[in-house]
Amino acid sequence: MEPREYVREHRFEEPATLSQRQEHSNNEPSDVVIETRGLTIGFSQKTVLSNVGLSFPRGSITALIGPSGSGKTTFLRSLNRLNDDVKGFRHSGDVLFNSESIWASKTDVLSLRRRVGMLFQRANPFPMSIEQNVIAGVKAHNIAKKSQLKKIAQSRLEEVGLWKAVEHRLHDSPFRLSGGQQQLLCLARALAIGPDVLLLDEPTSALDPMSIEAVENLILGLSPAITFIVVTHNLAQARRISHSTAFFFEGELKEYGPTKQVFEEPSQPETQRYVSGRLG
Amino acid sequence: MAATVDHLSTNASHRIASVRRVKNATVWILASASLLAIVGPAIWIIVEVSKRLLRGWHWSVLTEVGSGLAGGLENEIAGTVLIVLVVALLAGTVGILSGLYLAEYGNGPTSNILRTASEVLAGVPSIVLGYVGYVALVVYFHWGYSLGAGVIVLTVMVVPYIAKTTEVSFRQVPTSYREGGQALGMTNGQILSRIVLKSAAPGIATGMIIATAIAVGETAPLLYTAGYSQSLPTLNLTHHPIGYLTYAVWTFYNQPSAAAQQLSFDAAGILIFAVVALIIIARILVSITQRHSEFS
Repeated sequence: MEPREYVREHRFEEPATLSQRQEHSNNEPSDVVIETRGLTIGFSQKTVLSNVGLSFPRGSITALIGPSGSGKTTFLRSLNRLNDDVKGFRHSGDVLFNSESIWASKTDVLSLRRRVGMLFQRANPFPMSIEQNVIAGVKAHNIAKKSQLKKIAQSRLEEVGLWKAVEHRLHDSPFRLSGGQQQLLCLARALAIGPDVLLLDEPTSALDPMSIEAVENLILGLSPAITFIVVTHNLAQARRISHSTAFFFEGELKEYGPTKQVFEEPSQPETQRYVSGRLG
Repeated sequence: MAATVDHLSTNASHRIASVRRVKNATVWILASASLLAIVGPAIWIIVEVSKRLLRGWHWSVLTEVGSGLAGGLENEIAGTVLIVLVVALLAGTVGILSGLYLAEYGNGPTSNILRTASEVLAGVPSIVLGYVGYVALVVYFHWGYSLGAGVIVLTVMVVPYIAKTTEVSFRQVPTSYREGGQALGMTNGQILSRIVLKSAAPGIATGMIIATAIAVGETAPLLYTAGYSQSLPTLNLTHHPIGYLTYAVWTFYNQPSAAAQQLSFDAAGILIFAVVALIIIARILVSITQRHSEFS
């Protein structure tokens, strides 16, 4: 529990950022950020996901679990329309972001992605300096004055706890950082454009235990200002950080509920077998 | 199980180890021989040409135009520089854009046609291209021997190399870069210009070096199209023949005059040093753009 406390303290050091985000959140009309309705997704002939209905309450942390190939990553990548360009992509049903369809003609996919950010399984810094990495999104969306960019980079790096480590090598290559530091850098990059939601695709599966702890603490600290949807194969992680858990199995949503309930009193036999380690 | 393994290790594993050692040594010898086969001739050429170059070197070679079988090489140097600059500009633009198209958008029938055409073009002997250029541009269009005709033939010749290396280098950019850019809500143009292009730059630069080196060193197609002149080149695209270094290497070497033969070696030396300089400059530029690269 100690790390959580630390993060809480850390959060209060930056009340401005946090309250801004809270305020932003309070302006939204509903308590649900993202909702999927009968979402079915396929690539050419193959149907990967059938009829998934899930809603993600604002400020919550939801874990998506299930065996490999169960469709959870496809589901996650649909929420910011990252699957749209994949060959043969087709979908039916809908995804609502702040009650608006993400596929509606008036929805701009680039602004959607600005508000629904993503972190990948493998840290993917861009081939530019550490500082430029953090502000890459800010520059792309042109949301800050040039004179503010350095400050933004610093405060985001501080926010993810990377500032001390990179303070003197902001112009170095990000690829000389450790895997964990690279992932934190990617998180800083995602935070810099002020997302409402962050989609995390197995964000810690390639990291060492210390880095995993750092990332998990950040997730806990950034919630509820940011809503998190986390695909994870690490069941202990799902239990540690998430409020709710969704269990995917063979392209279907088998079970959804409060994390404690899904892990301790699952209603479906597949869930029971998966969370007890007898499946997957 | 352990007992079986132990048993195996006494005799058989000694044999396996010695077979492995022989294989190792063979590969090592073959690899070293290949290395030698590449490095040896390169050094040999540079040393031999330099020796002959230095034997009768006069700085005036750089500042005097040719006069008959004597004089300097200023006209040829200026001609080669001019030809190469224009070729790099034309072929670079066309080649990089075609490579980009093939890599980023090229999955349909159009790109198959483009790709096949490009491969066929790369296989056509340069002298054939020169002849076609002669018939079409010099004679049919009445351009005469000229900068324009030479440059167009050389451009057609090197575009396939640039297109191919550009396509390959764009395809080698990790998908995770593109996805990262998309996930940040960057436009395709931003992803391309800020991330992908940077990562593909060394490959494209390599293609450009090869193309430029080919253009610098080509003789046959230019004989057909650019002609030869001992006056300084002008910017006229047609009706003005133009001199170039490879012509001097080829023609002056066959003359029964020491001065002419010296000019031939001078031209060869200048060509080789120009190519080496080109490679070094490109390497430096690439290492600057790649200082944040994942693979450096």
